[in-house]
Amino acid sequence: MINTKNLIKVFRTDEVETTALNNVNLEINKGEFVAIMGPSGCGKSTLLNIIGLLDNPSEGELHFNGYQVENYTERQRTNLRKENIGFVFQSFNLIDELTVFENVELPLLYMKVSGAERKRRVNEALERMNIAHRAKHFPQQLSGGQQQRVAIARAVISNPKLILADEPTGNLDSANGEEVMNLLTQLNEEGTTIIMVTHSPSDADRSHRIIQLFDGHIVTENMRQKL
Amino acid sequence: MLRILLNTVLRSLYRQKAYSLMNILGLATGVTCTLLILIWVEYETGFDKFHEDIDQVYSVYESQNYADGDVFSVYSTPAPLAESIKRTFPEIKYSTRMVTTWGQLILSADGKSFVEDGGKIVDADFFQIFTFPIVEGEKENPFKEENSIVLTEKLAQKLFGELDPIGRKIEINSKFDYVVSAVIQNPPANSSITFDFILPFQFFGKLWAYDLNDWEANTFHTFIKVEEGVDSDDLAAQLQTYIKDRIKNSNVDLDLQAFVKYHLYAINTNKVGSIWYVRVFLLVAVLILLIACFNYMNLATARSERRAKEVAVRKVVGAQRKGLIGLFLGESIFFTLISLGIAVVLVELLLPVFSDLTDRDLSLGINNIKFLFSVSGIVLLTGIVSGSYPALFLSSFLPIHVIKGVSRKDSALLRKVLVVIQFSMSISLFICSGIIYQQLKFLRESDVGYNKNDLIYIEMADDFNSIYPKLKNELIKIQGVYWVTAANQMPVNFTNSTWDVDWPGKIKDSEDILFQLSFVDYDFIETFEMNVIQGRGFSKLHGGDSLKFIINESAAEKMNMVHTIGEPLQIWDYSGEVIGIVKDFNFNSLQVGVEPLIMMRNPAAFKYIGIRIGEDVEPILNKIRTVWDSTVPDIPFTYRFLEEDFKYFYTAESRMSKIFISFTIIAFIISCLGLFGLVSFVTERKSREMALRKVFGANMDTVFQLLLKEFFKWVMLSNFIAWVLSFFVMEWWLKGFAYRIDIGIGIFILSGFVSLLITFLTVYQQIWKLALKTPVRVLKYE
Repeated sequence: MINTKNLIKVFRTDEVETTALNNVNLEINKGEFVAIMGPSGCGKSTLLNIIGLLDNPSEGELHFNGYQVENYTERQRTNLRKENIGFVFQSFNLIDELTVFENVELPLLYMKVSGAERKRRVNEALERMNIAHRAKHFPQQLSGGQQQRVAIARAVISNPKLILADEPTGNLDSANGEEVMNLLTQLNEEGTTIIMVTHSPSDADRSHRIIQLFDGHIVTENMRQKL
Repeated sequence: MLRILLNTVLRSLYRQKAYSLMNILGLATGVTCTLLILIWVEYETGFDKFHEDIDQVYSVYESQNYADGDVFSVYSTPAPLAESIKRTFPEIKYSTRMVTTWGQLILSADGKSFVEDGGKIVDADFFQIFTFPIVEGEKENPFKEENSIVLTEKLAQKLFGELDPIGRKIEINSKFDYVVSAVIQNPPANSSITFDFILPFQFFGKLWAYDLNDWEANTFHTFIKVEEGVDSDDLAAQLQTYIKDRIKNSNVDLDLQAFVKYHLYAINTNKVGSIWYVRVFLLVAVLILLIACFNYMNLATARSERRAKEVAVRKVVGAQRKGLIGLFLGESIFFTLISLGIAVVLVELLLPVFSDLTDRDLSLGINNIKFLFSVSGIVLLTGIVSGSYPALFLSSFLPIHVIKGVSRKDSALLRKVLVVIQFSMSISLFICSGIIYQQLKFLRESDVGYNKNDLIYIEMADDFNSIYPKLKNELIKIQGVYWVTAANQMPVNFTNSTWDVDWPGKIKDSEDILFQLSFVDYDFIETFEMNVIQGRGFSKLHGGDSLKFIINESAAEKMNMVHTIGEPLQIWDYSGEVIGIVKDFNFNSLQVGVEPLIMMRNPAAFKYIGIRIGEDVEPILNKIRTVWDSTVPDIPFTYRFLEEDFKYFYTAESRMSKIFISFTIIAFIISCLGLFGLVSFVTERKSREMALRKVFGANMDTVFQLLLKEFFKWVMLSNFIAWVLSFFVMEWWLKGFAYRIDIGIGIFILSGFVSLLITFLTVYQQIWKLALKTPVRVLKYE
């Protein structure tokens, strides 16, 4: 599903040049659950953002579903993203001015889904995330765990083939973290590919494969037994 | 999508109350001012348009060309002109003369008498040219009979009450009998021609000895209505030499002015036409709206930090930039619409005050399609202009930068430029209104060359010479009455002029100069306390003084007289000698310079009695009233203070300056909101820096000074731009005045002081807010 060849990402300021990713070669198959680990600043999030088409690599190739996408325009990337990728962030990134329902509904609006269909799908997703009773609330009225469940509902609403999760439990206590990981695992079991950046070994244990990054390089790739 | 947009806007409006309030208030104030100005402009430009076929109506006016290069344009034309051109040019369908009844007439009906001065004397075609609706009586030709009079509904009610006025008799000045032939609607407030009654032209000949075949005397307005489709330029070209063709050596050209321009475009070049004010206020409206738009841009982009996440999330889940631009534009248009709602309420509330201020009967033109159309246009344009930059700026955020917390390309410079422009405009308005105020004050208070205080005058309706000598005898006996004199006009209203003047050494024709001419009685100079430079004033002690002239300094200079006293002078057929020169005094608005003036004693022309009284006004007036009532029992006692009339010269100007000052204050307030936006933006951006400085021991004073220095820099730059701009604009404006102030440095210093003070207070308030936050809170949420 995802294939990178000699992926390089360099950040430049006037005087400093930082290589965040250095010759990263990676292949992720459909239905996989991959965890990316490594110390702070090793390039985990950069890799995730490039795979999520939020950022461009400086060099190298990126293939997504068979398409070579590293030179796509902003518009092409947006179109590809909204059809195929869902995002879950550490800091939830919900829009404060929108209710839970509206936050989850947002991707469908940009996909031009009809009103009735949107309503049906949003309600279904909220039920599934066990947050339907909070549909009319605003993000600030929810706990962290609830907010993250809303964010996951938003990520899955468009039935994406891939979910990218950047430290999804980073801001949560252990109980809520556990719940979020259960949801992600369940989604993966239903066929969604998941790539997750995490610091937590126990979260990583849920994955099929752990990729260790260090200073922009992949140092190890451990296949794991499915639990 | 629209629902979500509306929800988002409404919720963020509610959530960020202070910010929303500032934004909406700024826009609402801007839109309110613009609406008020538009309503006024609509009113001013709509003058006289209620007449049918108004595009076919023209005023015929004269341009008199003088040897000194002056061109003097007047609506006054010769009496035979109207009829003569109508006969000559088939294009002219109707023509009429019009003159205001000179002075007061006494109208008596049903045993009651009223002194009226609101009459017009016209030809019968007047009713074909102007379509003031006739509500009762003869509608086709109200002047079928020579002794017809047409009354307005108001005067008809005053004279006859509930009785049917048609066919009733009115006696004018106890001499002439007239019959009411029609009642006409009161002329609307936006009519240039106003009247209480209309008399047929024959009346003019009855009341005043005047040669109605004289092509050289200019007294009457001439209006024409041309056939449909007539090219007025062609007609004007044919008319141009019409007078010259009749009078040898005439210096007069004729021209046409569309009657719709009568109100706004004064042809007299000495006077500022109302169009000047219309243009200035349109400019002010545009400036205020721009200031409000800039304000919105500033406040909206200042909150960009808070919008960044929303933009990022929307983009991550599939929003395209175009859609986001639409979203932010929609938001600003929505804000403008709310502002319009508030503005409409504000306008409704303020209209009575604004109507008072402008002396116009203004109303919100809800049923005026053109007006509604322009208001919608303004709202749309304001929304787009104010939303444009925030939309482009905010939609350009890359989600990756937001997610990673990378600081984005800063728009601070542009925001500063906006605030500088905004402040430059407001400070310019501030300085301009200050200078306008000073100039008007100067005009009101400057020495006009005579003492205008404690001077009353009485306008006589008729029979001046049978009443005046006796009246003067009695009046002068009153304690507190110092001088009594008579004249054909008061120095606030000199309208007589002639170029038919001869003096020794005049080179014939090439030295034709327009002289103001005034007929004054004995003691005129003394009553007005004018300064005699040479010779003397008219006095009984020297006999009749009938062929003697007093001239002013300007006249002496124009005539190049060396030994003035005793020099011979001829006006028309009167040959006499100069007996005195008075120091120049102003007999018109100070906008106009002093023109050469000749005064002579001609009792036949007297119309006004001037009385110099003591300071204890009330008892003296009572005594004058008693004398009047016993001497002239039939005529009610009416008088005026010269000083009041003098103020009237500047009513238009002082009215306009009041409006100007009001709008300046508003512009300033909106600009302050803009500054507030910028300061809050900068403090928000700098809160991390400030927190760190505090952690490492800086106190708030240092932080305050740092910020203040930055803003002072920008405000001083705005001041500098405004100083240069307003100096040149005001120099240009002041050039239009014969008497003017020199622009002093005071107003510039004041503008600098006020703007810096406002900056100081704004920064202080924001810094205070920041100071109350503990550094750890700021850093934690960084």
